[in-house]
Amino acid sequence: MNTVEEIFSVLEEKFGVKRDTRDKWGVCAVVGAAYLHNVVQFLKDSAAIKFEMLVDIAGIDYLTYPNHEGPRFAVSYAFKSVSTPGQRIRLKVQVSEDSLKVPTISDLFANANWYEREVFDQFGIVFTGHPDLRRLLNHVEFVGHPLRKDYPAQKRQWLSTNDYLLPALEKRLEDLGYRVVQRSKEVGTNDNEFLEGSIKE
Amino acid sequence: MIVLDPNGEKLNLMPLNVGPSHPATHGCLRFLAAMDGETIVASVEEIGYLHRGFEKMVERGTWQQVLPYTDRLNYCSAIMNNIAFCRTVETMFGIELPERCKVLRVIVNELSRINDHFVCIAAAFQDLGGTTPFMYAFNPREEIMCIWEKLTGARLTNSYARIGGLYRDSYDGFENDVLAALDSTEKALKDLHACLDRNRIFLDRTVGIGKISAERAISYGWTGPCLRASGVASDLRKDEPYYDYETYDWEVVVGTQGDCNDRLQVRMAEIEESVKIVRQALKRLAPGPVDIVDPRIRVPAHKLAYQDMEGLIGRFKSVYEGIRVPEGEFYCGSECANGELGFTIVSDGSGHPYRIKVRPPCLTQFAAFHELVEGGQLADSMAVLSGLNIIAGELDR
Repeated sequence: MNTVEEIFSVLEEKFGVKRDTRDKWGVCAVVGAAYLHNVVQFLKDSAAIKFEMLVDIAGIDYLTYPNHEGPRFAVSYAFKSVSTPGQRIRLKVQVSEDSLKVPTISDLFANANWYEREVFDQFGIVFTGHPDLRRLLNHVEFVGHPLRKDYPAQKRQWLSTNDYLLPALEKRLEDLGYRVVQRSKEVGTNDNEFLEGSIKE
Repeated sequence: MIVLDPNGEKLNLMPLNVGPSHPATHGCLRFLAAMDGETIVASVEEIGYLHRGFEKMVERGTWQQVLPYTDRLNYCSAIMNNIAFCRTVETMFGIELPERCKVLRVIVNELSRINDHFVCIAAAFQDLGGTTPFMYAFNPREEIMCIWEKLTGARLTNSYARIGGLYRDSYDGFENDVLAALDSTEKALKDLHACLDRNRIFLDRTVGIGKISAERAISYGWTGPCLRASGVASDLRKDEPYYDYETYDWEVVVGTQGDCNDRLQVRMAEIEESVKIVRQALKRLAPGPVDIVDPRIRVPAHKLAYQDMEGLIGRFKSVYEGIRVPEGEFYCGSECANGELGFTIVSDGSGHPYRIKVRPPCLTQFAAFHELVEGGQLADSMAVLSGLNIIAGELDR
């Protein structure tokens, strides 16, 4: 009856995933970063239960986790099925401190774009192939990645400016099939110039 | 900026910044739109103006100290967030709650949902220039707020749920207050429908505006009333029932068009369903305990702390060291007013949360905002924004 278990064994066979023993309440598969895109595509399109919805992407830093072995970071993906209500599965990709790279799934799920930006913002994990990897919640001027365990919670930073959205807007126009002939006069030659107006100095 | 459109025609677009402090961007939302006259050609959003570091702050305290923070996620229905968080931790513990606690949680959950939907509807009409519906919606909301005051001592950030129970049992006369609030809710709904259903101006502003297909909404991870407005009957209270929601007699409300009008109509119909649930729950409300008896999870009652050694130790340890949630990782989502509010919890078995990731329902909805407004008028973007009910508190955490 437990078909998520069956899907897990298919994943085990096809992609060599391992069960995450830390998730005692649901099904969580540890996936190698190289297979992530294929596994997600499989879950979305061809598994016996189709997991059409990406619910959440969470970064985890195991730096101070007691007796932790293995890579320092992990990215956890939660999926749920809409066509078969009540079925869920989680995937986990382990990320070592040296590489800090995970392939993007933003081409498969529209909301992965912002979720991956958030994980990049909070943990500094780079999603390769992401179309627009900027900070999401913190300011552009922010230095460091606040949800890492070695980032001091009481640290303060002086942040004074908004995100500079004009380049993003131009990119969005180009995605829609427009071609920018002449940039706004507000846009300097260097997109980072706007930070010079900040009162940080 | 001068651009060539897909047909090769030259256009002169004006970048227009809206927000972060604009009366219609409830909370602090900002988007930059490329305008061709009154039409939005392209738009990009920015969030984070209300980012308070929820996930960093909760790592510093004990498990119980997370609760006041959850109030500040969706501050229009604070109790629902409390309950969603408690439910996640209770599932990790494997706690079976007492019957009265479950029924009380259902009642306050649904009253919060009514509250939240009323705020959304009222604000949406206010943004479109209608002041009267605002008053209609806020009268019953005020009654529910008064119930919150009596029940929890606070109006907005209630912190009513506790891991393994509730802050306290309901007060004398609670049932009558709730029934009175339900009556005025129904009256307000009638007034709202009379005011809006055939209102030409309102329909012109909302029908066909901000449409999204079911496939696209699912790809964006939409949940809750916004997804249901696109025609997907997805509701966690039915799909993954908790607190015996499956035993109540109610329907999942589904829209057809996925436009702004549907999103508001679905909310109004959901209020009706919530009223139905609360009426049934009130009949089930039998006397009994609201807390589980386990000093390791739920602090013993105050009077025990003064008379009983075990009670004193239990209180001391639970307050100073925190409860010890079983080691492991878990994701659990609950159906809140805006959709699925989920918590990914990593526990290392100590009294402090190792990592709590919030999955706010608003984030996915606001991520799709550009697709909803592109091609529409600037004024429509305000109708779309308020119809999505973006709460900056949970959007930015």
